[in-house]
Amino acid sequence: MKSHDLIIVGAGLSGMRAALEGAKAGLDVAVVSKVHPLRSHSCAAQGGINAAINPNDKWEVHAYDTVKGSDFIGDEDAIDLMCREAPGIIHEMDRMGTPFSRNDDGVIAQRPFGGASFDRTCYAADRTGQVLLHTLWERLVHSGIHVYEECHVFRLVLASDGHVAGLVVYDIKTGEIFGLRGKGILLATGGYGRVFLSSTNATTNTGDGMAYAMRAGAPLADMEFVQFHPTGLRTSGILITEGARGEGGYLINAEGERFMGRYAPKKWELASRDVVSRAEQTEILEGRGTNGAIFLDLRHLGRDKIIDKLPQIRHLALDLEGVDPIDAPIPVRPTVHYSMGGIRTDKFGAAPVPGLFAAGEAACVSVHGANRLGGNSLLDTIVFGKITGEHACQYVRSAQLRDFPANAIAEEKDRIQELKSRPNRGLRPAMLHHQMAEAMNTYCGVYREPVGMTTLAEKFPGWRLDYERIHLDDKSTVFNVDLLRAVELRNLLDLGESIVKGALAREESRGAHFRIDFPNRDDVKWRKHTLAFWDEGAQAVRLDQEEVRTVGNPEYAPMVRTY
Amino acid sequence: MTSQTYTFRIQRNMPGQVGTVQSHWQEYKVEAEPNTTILTLLETIKGGQDGTLTFRQSCRSAICGSCAINIGGRTRLACKTHVGTVAKDGVVEISPQKNQPVLRDLAIDIRPFFARVHGIKPYLQEGPERAGKVTSTAYDQVNHVTQCIMCGCCYSECTMAEVNPKFIGPAALAKAFRFVSDPREGLKTERLQALANPNGIWSCTRCTLCVDVCPKEVAPMEAIVKLRTRGLNKGVNTSAGAKHALAFHEDIKQTGQLNEFTLMMRTLGIVGSLMETGMALHLAKKGKIPSPFPHSVTGVDELRRMYESLERSPIDVETKAKEAVPE
Repeated sequence: MKSHDLIIVGAGLSGMRAALEGAKAGLDVAVVSKVHPLRSHSCAAQGGINAAINPNDKWEVHAYDTVKGSDFIGDEDAIDLMCREAPGIIHEMDRMGTPFSRNDDGVIAQRPFGGASFDRTCYAADRTGQVLLHTLWERLVHSGIHVYEECHVFRLVLASDGHVAGLVVYDIKTGEIFGLRGKGILLATGGYGRVFLSSTNATTNTGDGMAYAMRAGAPLADMEFVQFHPTGLRTSGILITEGARGEGGYLINAEGERFMGRYAPKKWELASRDVVSRAEQTEILEGRGTNGAIFLDLRHLGRDKIIDKLPQIRHLALDLEGVDPIDAPIPVRPTVHYSMGGIRTDKFGAAPVPGLFAAGEAACVSVHGANRLGGNSLLDTIVFGKITGEHACQYVRSAQLRDFPANAIAEEKDRIQELKSRPNRGLRPAMLHHQMAEAMNTYCGVYREPVGMTTLAEKFPGWRLDYERIHLDDKSTVFNVDLLRAVELRNLLDLGESIVKGALAREESRGAHFRIDFPNRDDVKWRKHTLAFWDEGAQAVRLDQEEVRTVGNPEYAPMVRTY
Repeated sequence: MTSQTYTFRIQRNMPGQVGTVQSHWQEYKVEAEPNTTILTLLETIKGGQDGTLTFRQSCRSAICGSCAINIGGRTRLACKTHVGTVAKDGVVEISPQKNQPVLRDLAIDIRPFFARVHGIKPYLQEGPERAGKVTSTAYDQVNHVTQCIMCGCCYSECTMAEVNPKFIGPAALAKAFRFVSDPREGLKTERLQALANPNGIWSCTRCTLCVDVCPKEVAPMEAIVKLRTRGLNKGVNTSAGAKHALAFHEDIKQTGQLNEFTLMMRTLGIVGSLMETGMALHLAKKGKIPSPFPHSVTGVDELRRMYESLERSPIDVETKAKEAVPE
């Protein structure tokens, strides 16, 4: 069986940035990714990456904005660390070759973003994620690090002493199931947008790493905090960047009214995402939308600015909605976008299972708390990709390879064989997925009420039984996507259950989580993280709580949050 | 908009004996509005009719580059192609990318494509040609090229790749241009020299198909032509392709027409030309050997003045790429 010092799962921004630390340390690092690195969903981030690089800005202000944006439930040690590291990260990416947009004087340009008190978002037109991803991939190629491309992880394997032992991996190209031993495992597998039916996310965003970590005994944190992006395209849910509002775009309702002033009189369209999404949803619910959408109006920006600063979103609006934003407003609505929750880690990305690390959207460090600020996710991926990579490398230097449990590979082979051998009748994976994802959208959306959520939570045992009855049309070995979807579906079920249970338990409204029956924040009872564990005996998710990590900065004391 | 029934005629490919695939065509019927994307409908078929249908996809928004397939005779991204624009009499024909080995159904083996990209050293390098400061216009030149998402549409349609699988190809060459044009790149000349080797920039026939099919307006051929010009400007002129271009240049400037008799000698040299003796004899038999003493065309003075004017103010290879007009 092959072994490596450190195995990184996922080749998006976090995974690749972490891998570069391994190369720098001279360790044997490998990356496993179910898609080619350039297909990773980091490429879809459009608007930008926050950093206090302007001499008139301060990282401390960025940190305060982030604490406030998190609705005072982000871990303050991690937020301070991220914002302090941010300017260095931007300059490092610049040196590596990222073509950031620049001002006339050659300085990296910055645009305003939601929830920020300074124009702090660095960008490359409206495809910042793509250029960052390509830059890190270039460095990855340069480093010569081995990537197991188009290889799906089926299981995170622990040794008998509870330390990570390695992974069971499935080569999508050949159907081969094999083991990889590692002294450390770093999960950088991204978010779980596909738990919901309507999402800005790629179809590959199935939160696999989170689900495997939870099944291996590592808790997930704050899964109830699901970010709804205010501007997903009406039909497909595809993202239209917050940068469109940063560049001056308006939100208008069906009556043509620029409504945000009624909800956020100071920041208008650039209030934080939870605030804007709720405002939009209220407009729609009160009948001032059109076919379930309100509108993003860019017409007053003029043709030149749209083409120069927002070329990609113009094409998306044209291709997917048939609307040219130069001439007409774009129909948009709040759409599932980002997972504030994830694998619980300390500020260096270490999970409570020895040898296990997590970074990026897969992790809950937690820098985003109950609501992430736009421009902070790209930052999170690279800063914590680097820091977690560094930390994991340090760890594996003194760690020993563990014995790989002999039955782990056989069990996965049996599981796959059993799935394939089911007769061709009953549910297809897509049908069960649709049922769950639709219900998640309906009952665990922007506004949440207890009856719907209880109904939803009670459906999970039934869906798990249904899962045992799904069948695969495809029994083959080469590029069996049918099989992958089925394996991913179990992960989605695990994550969906952790989201709705967390949402049902949290009897307050904070950040992206809004309870109609508890419309206020309750710092006494609920300034806490929710932890979700997998209960093997009950075959269900059980919850616990944990205190928020604070640093004693009096400015971070919770206060009423307005924009 | 009204929905209608479309027939998807899809090439199914299954791996057979080592290195072979067995192909057949299979038809599916789907109900859709004309502005539905092909990817949505492939998902509909896979989810509801036939789970064995295999294709790559991920972001659904034309930025990850996964879903490039041959739709209606053209390689396109399935996620941004509307069924109504490609159906002929309600039928849409779909097959995998061309010029690439097929793994299964519509999924190709992407490794050979990426091996070519790896070949151009796709990363910034330290070196003496690294500029100190980056200006606001520094990326005007590379902006359109960095839009490349490595989907492979261009390579699939490339007429040179079709006859010469060793050709580096449009995507990798556009990527190379991205580094040659970056003020931070330290080894620009070395890159230009390597790119002038066989199967590189001079192998492109400038058929423009890569420009036509690119879903991100990268215009790879434009990048290739600019690489040639930059190479010549830096004195990278010893490759057959460069010599061929320079010979053209001299002839037109002198007489207004090509001296095809000496063109081969000037392109391939004496030894190279002797290798082509067979071809020469064949041409002679057909009476196609041109005169070694071409006369000047009428109005050659005007041509020379055009050259002089161009040499005084050369076409600016540093200019920004044209703004793309969406379909």
